[in-house]
Amino acid sequence: MAASDPPPGLTVRVRLFASLREAMGWAEQRLTTAAGTTPASLWPQLDPPDGEALPATVRVAINQQFADPATPLADGDELAFLPPISGG
Amino acid sequence: MSVSVSLHPDPFGPFLQVEQWQQQLGGDPAAATSLFIGRVRGTASDGQPLDALELEHYPGMTEAQLQRLATASARRHGVAAVMVRHRVGLVLSGDAIVVVAVLADRRGPAQRCCHELLEALKHDAPFWKREWSSGVGTWVEGNTPLTAG
Repeated sequence: MAASDPPPGLTVRVRLFASLREAMGWAEQRLTTAAGTTPASLWPQLDPPDGEALPATVRVAINQQFADPATPLADGDELAFLPPISGG
Repeated sequence: MSVSVSLHPDPFGPFLQVEQWQQQLGGDPAAATSLFIGRVRGTASDGQPLDALELEHYPGMTEAQLQRLATASARRHGVAAVMVRHRVGLVLSGDAIVVVAVLADRRGPAQRCCHELLEALKHDAPFWKREWSSGVGTWVEGNTPLTAG
């Protein structure tokens, strides 16, 4: 790869649950994005209805574990955006 | 230390779950058992009669997260065994939705572990409730505070 080539992209599986899924109108999609993308920087690309900043109430899971929204994603990651939890 | 966690799409008898779990563990009965059973209320958050509660989860992560939370809490309090049973899907008013049981040598660790684990799973296990009332479904955002009267 020449030094001037753009960095390779990465493909992630994005999942939404509960109220977020219904607000966005989809449950799951595969997205190819630039290397270095984080959950927080990916969020605006999903065309969220309530503005471009990831809401503080939305939590992030990468590969089914809670993660910091600033974590760089890796190729093949499963990324989930989780609305406020209400279990028990 | 033993940790047993499971999700249930169908109704279960909470006391039967505890009995079966204790039988599976075998051995002498623990000196202290702490138990919490949560059931679905008959009213929604807005006070209207509740037809049913729908419980969505994140298959795979929910089970793994319950296991992580239960294991961490059991280790922290030094208890012998922890059990969590949680419903998913449509849960009717009056049905058990969650059971947490803890076996220990003393009441202090048993009660503290049971209390802590219940609060942990309410906030850190991916479940989402939707209340169905008069044919309308409303997502419940977050949990009621522990101090709610």
